[in-house]
Amino acid sequence: MDHSSTFEKALRSALITLVLIFFLFPILWIFLMSLQTNETILRIPPSILFEPNLDNYRALITGKLQTTAGNLDIAFMRNLWNSVLLSTFSVALSLLLGVPAAYAFARFKFRLGEDIAFTLLSFRFAPPLLVLLPLSLYFKTLGLTNTYIGLIWVYQLICLPLILWIVRGYFEDISPDIEHAYRIAGNSWWKTFTRVAIPLARPGIAAAGLLAFIFAWNNFVFALILASADKQPVTVGALAFVTASGIQYGQIAAAIVLSVTPTLALALYAQRYLVEGLSMGAVKG
Amino acid sequence: MYDKEKGLFDAFVKQQMSRRELIRATGKLGLGAAATGILLNQAQTRAMAADFDWMKFKGSKLKLLLNKHPYADAMIANIDTFKTMTGMEVSYDIFAEDVYFDKVTAALSSGSTEYDAFMTGAYMTWTYGPAGWITDLNEYIKDPAKTHPTYNWDDMLPGLRASTAWNGVPGGELGSADAKQWCIPWGYELNNISYNQKMFDKVGVQVPKNIGEMVEVAAKLKADLGGPYGIGVRGSRSWASIHPGFLSGYANFGEKDFNVADGKLKAAMNTAGSKAFHADWVKMIQDSGAKDWSTHTWYQVGTDLGAGASAMIFDADILGYFMNGGDNKEKGNIGYAPFSANPAASAPTPNVWIWSLGMNNAGIQKDAAWYFMQWASSTEHGLFGAQKMDFVNPVRASVWKDEIFRKRIDTAYPGYLNQHDVSAPGAKIYFTAQPLFFDLTTQWSETLQKMVARELPVDEGLDKMAEDIDSKLKEAGLG
Amino acid sequence: MTANTANSSRHVKQSRFMRKALPYILSLPALLMCIGILIPFFTAVYYSMLRYRLNLPQMKGFIWFGNYVNFFYDPSFWNTVYISLLYAFLTVSLELMLGLAIALLLQKPTRFNNIASILLLLPLMTAPALASLMWKLMTNPNFGILSYFAGLLGFHDFRWASDPSTALFTVVLVDIWVYTPFIMILLLAGLRSLPQAPFEAAALDGVPRSFVFFRITLPMLMPYIITASLFRLLDSIQQFDIIYSMTQGGPGDKLLVFQVQAYLDFFQSTNVGRSAALMIILWAITYFLSNIFIKQWLKLRERAHGAG
Repeated sequence: MDHSSTFEKALRSALITLVLIFFLFPILWIFLMSLQTNETILRIPPSILFEPNLDNYRALITGKLQTTAGNLDIAFMRNLWNSVLLSTFSVALSLLLGVPAAYAFARFKFRLGEDIAFTLLSFRFAPPLLVLLPLSLYFKTLGLTNTYIGLIWVYQLICLPLILWIVRGYFEDISPDIEHAYRIAGNSWWKTFTRVAIPLARPGIAAAGLLAFIFAWNNFVFALILASADKQPVTVGALAFVTASGIQYGQIAAAIVLSVTPTLALALYAQRYLVEGLSMGAVKG
Repeated sequence: MYDKEKGLFDAFVKQQMSRRELIRATGKLGLGAAATGILLNQAQTRAMAADFDWMKFKGSKLKLLLNKHPYADAMIANIDTFKTMTGMEVSYDIFAEDVYFDKVTAALSSGSTEYDAFMTGAYMTWTYGPAGWITDLNEYIKDPAKTHPTYNWDDMLPGLRASTAWNGVPGGELGSADAKQWCIPWGYELNNISYNQKMFDKVGVQVPKNIGEMVEVAAKLKADLGGPYGIGVRGSRSWASIHPGFLSGYANFGEKDFNVADGKLKAAMNTAGSKAFHADWVKMIQDSGAKDWSTHTWYQVGTDLGAGASAMIFDADILGYFMNGGDNKEKGNIGYAPFSANPAASAPTPNVWIWSLGMNNAGIQKDAAWYFMQWASSTEHGLFGAQKMDFVNPVRASVWKDEIFRKRIDTAYPGYLNQHDVSAPGAKIYFTAQPLFFDLTTQWSETLQKMVARELPVDEGLDKMAEDIDSKLKEAGLG
Repeated sequence: MTANTANSSRHVKQSRFMRKALPYILSLPALLMCIGILIPFFTAVYYSMLRYRLNLPQMKGFIWFGNYVNFFYDPSFWNTVYISLLYAFLTVSLELMLGLAIALLLQKPTRFNNIASILLLLPLMTAPALASLMWKLMTNPNFGILSYFAGLLGFHDFRWASDPSTALFTVVLVDIWVYTPFIMILLLAGLRSLPQAPFEAAALDGVPRSFVFFRITLPMLMPYIITASLFRLLDSIQQFDIIYSMTQGGPGDKLLVFQVQAYLDFFQSTNVGRSAALMIILWAITYFLSNIFIKQWLKLRERAHGAG
């Protein structure tokens, strides 16, 4: 089935190499910065030669930052924990609500169906600032200011439309015949949904869930406006190294590396489901 | 504790004895400088406890909103003193400066009662005051029942006291008799030259004395050093690019941002004097400024000086101060000098940035909050911060006279005291207080960017800007 | 949808009820979760009809569409519309082409390709607010590695985001770096779940590859392409983080997109009325554009099901 010539193979490899360089070189550079002090990062011209040290990581993990003005406490690990908490629960809630809804829109034609689907998408249209400021007033009345629950609720604005519309696409691509056959064999609707429909759409659910997780993880304006310092995610936390006495590039780089790690681990784990795409293709109409 | 020493310190704190006399006397008793410091702090605590019920709000829980800044660090390092003295609990939220003022605006505009007091800049109170978010502090400062007898408000530098007081009338003079004290000065920056001594020596130039010399010296530095550029100033599209060096030089020529007549404002940026100054400034940046000037904020201006990418900056003195320490490549090489842009001016006129403390008007324990604010802005805490931490520049005249502080600065930051002492009398806010401050200064910086990029000629650009600003003022009912 | 043949009358009744109610039962919880957020939206619509600056409280008043009418005569507003649309068009179209190309390169599910596709997600995982700080450093004329490389290539005076002529290029480049992986991963998942039969048939018949790509792959992938570009468009036209942290909207007014202007209007000028009106217009533009995308998407879906 593979008719690739040697030339094409070489071209392909060359292109992939170029792509990897473009996207990964800045990441590599950030990683290298995370092992340096500001003094070596800010050299003219920049140089790749330096003595690596783990001080930036040590400072972030122990929460003690050594400066000339003395020891400062930093709450980076707490920020990291907040990010894990907020992103995980937001995505879990979005999946719980979004996957059944996506299934409904894909499988049933019902009155107002498309309107509801579009309305759900339209929550993504509103610029965050537009809803956030009035929301901060209402949160005060509802007692949701500075609560994880309140934040997870607002995070649905980011996660839910994404999951809903991506997963819907996958359900649409799966022929309903398999589900019908399973139903006729005497299985309940619920069983069909959980045992057949969801496993078939798993690559889509994995991709959507992963992307929603990343977007939730990268957000910072919601928590900044609606919560106190103890509930801030790592995106806000890492800005603490932009200080009046200078930007601590090494620590920001280390913060980026640390903050990417959980997401990368999740992506590597989800990868097996993403790959399933092809093997499942065989059963589709 | 030995009663004899105790007596000495108490006398000093009551200002019956000068510091020199105190040091001489303690020296006789065989006390070292370090011990003197400790005993002095204890005496201050005793003094502050006299005739005033610091424990009145014992058990209250205060919450502060703070910017990530050495001033906040110094306060936190000393906060136990306050807690012990008052029996209050103090917690705080710290946010990075990049997002700090957004957080303040969000918290205050929603009427949140979460924070009792917060850090602010004087310019911000031109928004917070009229919006009703902050409390006029005159009613606290002037009330002996609420303020400790040794607080000594008049010890604050007069330019700073006036610059943080405004009557709320657009164009109203800062510090006028009917002005409301919107915030308490805490620490401040004035704008002068910080320069790299080694580079100046290498090229063999002197610190420039006026704008013409600055243009020349910067160009020579750039040409002869072969790498570093001549002069660092802020340039990003923000009000923050106007208020430091630029406005300090502008004001030195007696130029103003607005003319106020009959309570109406009119743009004054297109006078002949203004055009000449703008032309010099633009040329200076084009010839010998940073290549990436238009994205230069506080951070880039400082970083470049500290890393040896620029030879001098015309910006906040404490920015140069920070760059002389830490892990900066050029630490130890930075010198400081006062600067009058106008050759005919008798003294520098640095515009100032004042980190201040404001009180949340929606707060529910204002009296307790004031206890914190007066402690944090007291001479005692000021001395602690100035001697041991980077609580620089102090806002109190008495702290500037402190010899331990002066000695520390003079040893590590040559020329710093002089640049401050020479400029401090002229140091104040030179902007006209008015509600469109941030809109119009941002527009000003945008216009400067276009001029430096040669998209807009200086004269024509200023005429157009003045016209546009006048129409905006009219629209807002100010012009 | 064809009705199932039921094996008992009880089952028929149940399934008839289910057929009616089920889609609502499944979709309403999601709607209810989000509906609360509509209330602040209407508050903002109300604000947009006020002359309302927080620091000029005495000026506050209801002016109907006054803020919108003012925009009409305001050249800086049209500049904002132009820049925002241009930015969105450039980023979405370039990222789409690049993302599709990369997805095709990595289509075969080999171990290397799988790992590469995950590693390519790394730029997306670094929060744009922080990534931009790093890009600002990497493009710094003194310490920046990219400026250094540009110098080696002969561009000694390349000023990246600081120069009016290259600022847009620079922020678009960063946007491409951050968000192309988003499109790539969605299209890759789409490509890999396409049915194999048509491709096998085409291969047997010896159909040229370009024909296969344009007549089979692309049409079948189209729904995924639309979803991916729709979400990218929604974020791109509302871009804030990258532009604000790299240039604050400058140099001059070169990059004053909607969100940057609305942010400055609110947080710096506390001009709530103008800021809200600006964002409502952005919302309307987004609504209009998404509607076109969704209509197209539904049409394609309809056709696919009709054919199947």
